[in-house]
Amino acid sequence: MRFTDFTSYDLVLLAQGLATTIGLFLATSLIGLAIGALWAVIRFYRVPVLTQLVAFLAEILKNSPVLVQLFLVFFGFPAFFKVNVTPVEAAVITLSANTAAFVYVIGVSAIESIAREQVEAARVFGLTRWQVLRHVIAPQAAAFSVGPLVALLVNQLQVTSLISVIGVVDLTKIGNILNLRTLKPFIVWSVVGLLYYLAAKLVATLGARFEDRLRAHSAFRGL
Amino acid sequence: MLKVENVKKSFGAATVLNGVNLTVRPGEVVSILGSSGSGKSTLIRCINGLEKLDAGLITVDEFDVSKPKELAEARKRSGTVFQLFNLYPHMTALKNITLAPVEVLKRPRDEAEAEGRALLASVGLGDRADAYPAQLSGGQRQRVGICRALAMKPRYLLLDEVTSALDPEMTAEVLTILAKLAAEGTTMVFVTHEVEFARQISNRVVFLEKGTLLVDLPTKDFFDPAGGLAQPRVAQFLSKMRKD
Repeated sequence: MRFTDFTSYDLVLLAQGLATTIGLFLATSLIGLAIGALWAVIRFYRVPVLTQLVAFLAEILKNSPVLVQLFLVFFGFPAFFKVNVTPVEAAVITLSANTAAFVYVIGVSAIESIAREQVEAARVFGLTRWQVLRHVIAPQAAAFSVGPLVALLVNQLQVTSLISVIGVVDLTKIGNILNLRTLKPFIVWSVVGLLYYLAAKLVATLGARFEDRLRAHSAFRGL
Repeated sequence: MLKVENVKKSFGAATVLNGVNLTVRPGEVVSILGSSGSGKSTLIRCINGLEKLDAGLITVDEFDVSKPKELAEARKRSGTVFQLFNLYPHMTALKNITLAPVEVLKRPRDEAEAEGRALLASVGLGDRADAYPAQLSGGQRQRVGICRALAMKPRYLLLDEVTSALDPEMTAEVLTILAKLAAEGTTMVFVTHEVEFARQISNRVVFLEKGTLLVDLPTKDFFDPAGGLAQPRVAQFLSKMRKD
């Protein structure tokens, strides 16, 4: 057997790479969703100082390349703060923060899309600001934002491929390794691309199903 | 007692309320008439604390609505029904009604739901408890809106042009319910364009014109040629309203 041939063990490698990719995607998505939602709530309450800080952070994270952010964390943290970060830690920090910034933007616009009348209708019955947020604004904002959020997550899944650059052995890194060994780029990258596609499709399908459930109250089903 | 004393409110350069005085005693039905832009809705929004007063004082059973701590108590005593219903679209009719009793009054959910169902039945919507607002007609939505306000057992019901967005048939549905409430002795502040109906159910009618109360008279006197109708502005308004 020549070393350029595929072996059945390559499938195991691919599965491991896919598991790393999906694991990091899920972890950073959950962290990003939680942090981004928290930032949106901070802005809803107009907490002094924190609101400005959050807006500034989100602005920076949104408007710079993820790869640059990744390098800053991976190479910058040890240099400036004297803390060593592993490639996986750097990936989790960067991708979570990046996702949080976009979740924040979606969350803020979703909250602002809720009509003032809705808030007033709840306030006149004595609901507190938190009760209004929880029972009136958040459910409607969630239904409004689930579409953009799913689109964001599908994109963030693809963005995880960047972390292979700093040495995380994700699906792309495995693709790289197999490609270098077998010298069959077309086959290797087709398979890798298909796996990304299937994972993204799964995210989109689950998201659409979730959206249907959140919008069950709307009689309008589109044209 | 609900007291409005010398209330002033402007939006930018536009003065909407220019020294309004009004007292509503428990058990009274007071209708507020006036052309569009005369400040009727703003007055209601000042009473339920949605607008800040520039000057003057509003108290609901002695609770000052301009003091945040007292506003919460004042709001428990007044229930608002909105022109455009403002139901929560993601909640069923029943949930719309029980939200505030459960969250604000801390009523047990099952009790609140039983009362909510009874309220819905009393307005002829007993079988629509689980419908979402989008699945209801305008008249049905407004009836849910009235139930939502009544569920808080308010001492004062504030109705802000509650039939303006409805066709005559649906208006009749809603007015029937309001007439029933008036007959039961519910205290109401009723902003409306339904002059005939106001005449039937009100104890008093007030006429708002450019931010001031032009007339404040018992219903009988308001429609008397020597009373409210002696005011040219009121006579003009009523003749226009009655051209049908």
